[in-house]
Order: sequence, then C-alpha cells, then structure tokens
Amino acid sequence: MWPKQYNKRVRNSFVVLALALTTLFSQPAFSQADQVPTDAETIAKGETLFKQNCKVCHNVHTRLIGPALQNVYDRRTLPWIYAFVQNSSKLIASGDEQAVQVFNENNQVQMTAFDFLSEEEILSIMAYIKDQTDNPPVEEAAAAADSGATGTAQPEGLPTSYLNAIIIGALILLVLLLIVLFMIVRTLSRYLRQREDIPEADKELVETKNPLAILRSKAFIGIVAAVITAFVVKQVIDGLYNIGIQQGYAPKQPIAYSHKIHAGDYKIDCNYCHTGVTKSKNANIPSPNICMNCHSSITKGTNTGTAEIEKIYAAIENNEPIEWVRVHNLPDLAYFNHAQHVAVGKIECQTCHGPIEEMEVVRQYANLTMGWCINCHRDTELNTKGNGYYDKLVKLHEQESDKPFTVEANGGLECAKCHY
Amino acid sequence: MNLNKIYRVAFLGAVASLFGCTAKDDFPGLEYAPNMYHSVAYEPLKQIKDKEAGMWVNSSEYEVGEYYSSNPNNPHEMNMREPVPNTVRRGKYLPYRIPKDSLELASRILKNPLDSTAEVIAEGKRLYGIFCSHCHGTNGLEPGPVGEKYAGVPSYQSPALKNMTQGHIFHVLSRGKGRMPSHASQLSIEERWEIARYVQVLQNQ
Repeated sequence: MWPKQYNKRVRNSFVVLALALTTLFSQPAFSQADQVPTDAETIAKGETLFKQNCKVCHNVHTRLIGPALQNVYDRRTLPWIYAFVQNSSKLIASGDEQAVQVFNENNQVQMTAFDFLSEEEILSIMAYIKDQTDNPPVEEAAAAADSGATGTAQPEGLPTSYLNAIIIGALILLVLLLIVLFMIVRTLSRYLRQREDIPEADKELVETKNPLAILRSKAFIGIVAAVITAFVVKQVIDGLYNIGIQQGYAPKQPIAYSHKIHAGDYKIDCNYCHTGVTKSKNANIPSPNICMNCHSSITKGTNTGTAEIEKIYAAIENNEPIEWVRVHNLPDLAYFNHAQHVAVGKIECQTCHGPIEEMEVVRQYANLTMGWCINCHRDTELNTKGNGYYDKLVKLHEQESDKPFTVEANGGLECAKCHY
Repeated sequence: MNLNKIYRVAFLGAVASLFGCTAKDDFPGLEYAPNMYHSVAYEPLKQIKDKEAGMWVNSSEYEVGEYYSSNPNNPHEMNMREPVPNTVRRGKYLPYRIPKDSLELASRILKNPLDSTAEVIAEGKRLYGIFCSHCHGTNGLEPGPVGEKYAGVPSYQSPALKNMTQGHIFHVLSRGKGRMPSHASQLSIEERWEIARYVQVLQNQ
C-alpha cells in the first residue's frame, strides 16, 4: 500500500515544480549574458552593424527615438530580440505582450524591419551592446575632469576689469608722486636761492630757468593748438560723412544666435535658413520651425547651454513671434533684390555681408552707400554663362564694344533700376 | 570776448554731437532725411509698433508717426501675412496630402515625376549641398558636422536605406521621420523630387 506520507511528498514536489515553472515564466529578469559572445572580432562586427542600422534611433546608454539598449539581453529573450528586430510589426500584430508594450511606450513609432539581418548578425550587435554596457564611454569622466581643469585654471588669469583698475590706480599714484616731487623741488630751490653761503657753481644750478617754462612758449602753444584743430576738423568731417551710414551697426538680438557656430563650425549653408535668398527680394529671417529642424533634438548650445535655445521653445509654445532686430536697413528710396544678385549673378553672401561665418553678433560689414553699389556695378562682369536670357545681349555687346560686359554696360547704372 | 566764448562752446558742442554719429553696437547712427528712409507702404520684414515714432517729421494726414509701420489687422500686428487657410498654391503640383504615418503607402505608390536627367541631378546636388549635407555628409555615407552632433545619421548605403524608393525619400523630406523633421517649408515639391533623384545617385554610387 502507498504510504500516506508519500502522498504528501508527491503533492509537495508538484507545488515546488509549479512554483519553479511560474517563477521561470513570469519573471523576465533572467540572465542570458553568458550567451552573448565577448570576443573582439564579433564586437567589431557588431559595432559596424550597429552604426549602419541602429544608431539612427538607438543609443546604448540614452534614449533617442527608441529606448536605450543597455542590458537588453537581460530584459528580453534572444529569440524575442531576433523576431522583433527582423520584423517588429509582425510581432506586434501577433499580439505579443512585450512587443505591444514596447510599441506603446515609444509613441507607437514603428521600427524598420531589418529582415536582412541574420540571427548571427543580431547576436554580434548584442555583443557590441554588451561591450558598451560593461565599458561605458569615458566621455563623462573626461568632461568632469575638463571642467575641473578649467575650474582651477580660472583664478590664474585676472579678469580684465581688475587689471584695468590696477593700471589706472598705478597711473594716478605716479602722477601724484610727480606732483609731490615737483613741489619738493620748488620749495628746495626757493630755499637755496635765499641762502648766500653756497658755492658759485651750485648757485648757477639753482638759478637756471625752470625746464617746464618751455610749455608756456608761444611756439609750443601754437603747435598744440594746430594739432588739436586738425584732429577736431577730421572728426567733424568723418562725423558728417557717417550720417546716414549704418556700417558697424551690431545690435543685440533677442536670442544670442551665433552665426559663427551655425554657419562657421557646423557649416550649415546660409540658404538653409534664409530660404528666400534665391527666390525673392528679401533673404528672409527663418521662422522657429526651421530652428526646430535641429533643435528638437539638440537642446544644449555650445556657448549658452539651454538658456538661449529655450527661448525658441517658449516662442513656439506661447505663439509669440521672435522680434529680431533688423541689421541691414536700406533706405526706402532704394530698391534691392537678393534673388537677382544671388540666383542670377551668383554673388557670394560674403561679398556684401563680410565674414558672417566668423561673427558671434552680426555686424553691418559694408557701408551700403550708393557709391559702393555703383563701384561694384562698374567693375563686375555679368555672369552670363548658361543663362539663355543673356545670349543675344552678349552678342550685341560684342559687336559694339571690345570692353568686358559689365553690369554698367547692361544698364546697371540707370537711375530707375534702383530708384522708382 | 563774450561772442568768442559762445562760438567756442558751440563749436565744441557740434564736435561732441558729431562724435556720436557713427553706428556702433546698438546705435544705428543718424539718418539723413529720415522721411525718405522709412517706407509708407507695409514692409514685410519690418515692424515699428510705436505710433508716436517719427511724429516730429510727420508730413502725412494720418494721426500716426512717420515711422510707424505695423498692420493692426494681422496677427501680432505683423506686416507680413500667412497664406490664406484652405487655399492651394497655383502651379504644376497639387499639395502633398499623404499623412506622416503612411510612409509605407507613400513609398509604394509615389512615382518621381522628374526623370533622372543630368540637369535634374545637378540641381538636386546643389540643393542637397544646401539642405542635407551638413547632417548626411557630402556623399551620404559619413555624417556631416551637424550629423556628428546628432550621433546617428544613417548612411544611404546601409542595407536598410540602399533600396529605399523615390516615394520613401520624398515622403521623409515632406513629413520627416525619426529625428529628421519635415523640410516642406523650405523646399518646394519640385525641389524635393530633385533631391530624391540625387539621393538615388548616392544610394548607387
């Protein structure tokens, strides 16, 4: 007969087995790390594949479009990873709980189906991710060390304002010293002049005229007056010529946008933001949606951190236009068209606007006077190559003249071209 | 002597005031004949909201200053206007209507209306240099300077992108995908198709 205690034992073992099974299937946190290869060759292969296919939307340590991938081999089974990478929408459609959850957690953005990746290749990508998880990049540590270095370096150089104050203080001291010395010399010489019992040679020395007396001579005053008058006259003439010219105007803008960073360092073409430059009279100031093409992802600036970039977000959120200050103000009496110069004439932006890609704050580079316009129209040859509009004009010009076909020769100096 | 003194003071005053004529930093300099500088008509990229501005040179019968340039009928009193809603631009192309989430549909049904001629590719290359190369790199293989900052711009020759259709490229340019937003406000429909043709060249280089 089957002893009763055996019954109990069997029951217990079933309970244990059931418990073990439930823990095995309900708990996703199991380790498959030992199944992921760690040899350098596989890691290198995985790195190439990761950079080619995954990097656009995934980072190992931070979330981009998709979630951060570190430890993914601990969170999901390898067969699940293979299925999801090769065709995620199929897995989601099949109703897989984890797949649907991942899809919903990531704004329902569908991941491209990488059906050309074999399981072996995906495993090599896992090897790269494991390598990156175990050896996080040292950038942060380096950055911390950097900031530490600059932190210690800062007190070494004195701020210029302190330096200026010290120099001015020293100058004032020197002048005071000179005055005191001069007073001492005067008192002493007056005292010596009253004394009778000093030798003849010393007396002569005391009697010599004050060397400063030359400052009171008519010739000296005349020269100084002439220099000052010349200087003042030059300033007056320069000042008169500067009326109506805004060359050098560099107003502070509502957002400290740096052309040096965007156009210089990052080599973004002027036309990317100033979209009107080849199509219309105005080059156009970009609207915030063009800023957001990059700044939806790049939230921290090189110079100012998040402070200035957040002004774009605020403008969009509050539907408030950003009131940029216009730098180049051509008088209303003159007409100028960007498209004619940039699209037809193929003139570089820098010809008139100067080294914009080096300017932190935009400054009016050219003086934009009529003489400046006319000089360029006299010297510049028309860009007629490949432009059918000019074919007959070029022929006519060559028949009548042997001089180059400049803007002037094509009527570029007629008053009504710009003034009407 | 007294007269002499007055002359002297006046002269010095004139000099001092002329020193301040030169434009610098926030100061735009003095204007000569300001009535002729400020447009009476609305200028799209200018706005002066202050109604008193230029009252001292006012020559018109309006009760606002000569410099006032602002249109109270527009949103934010701006001088430029947005296109009228629900209107279609005239020209060769109808507006693109496939929504953002239908990338697969777009890549299946859209056909490039432009043939891959040398002219189209040359224009596509020019536009690619302006609008794409700072992220995708000059040859579409290595990321450009902005792409470096993005850390993760795909190569056109990666297996996932090598065989993307013209419709896919057009749809991504028009609507955006992933971290690349729409470029429809900067590029006309024709320009987007021209870029798509040049990207095709880069896929097959």
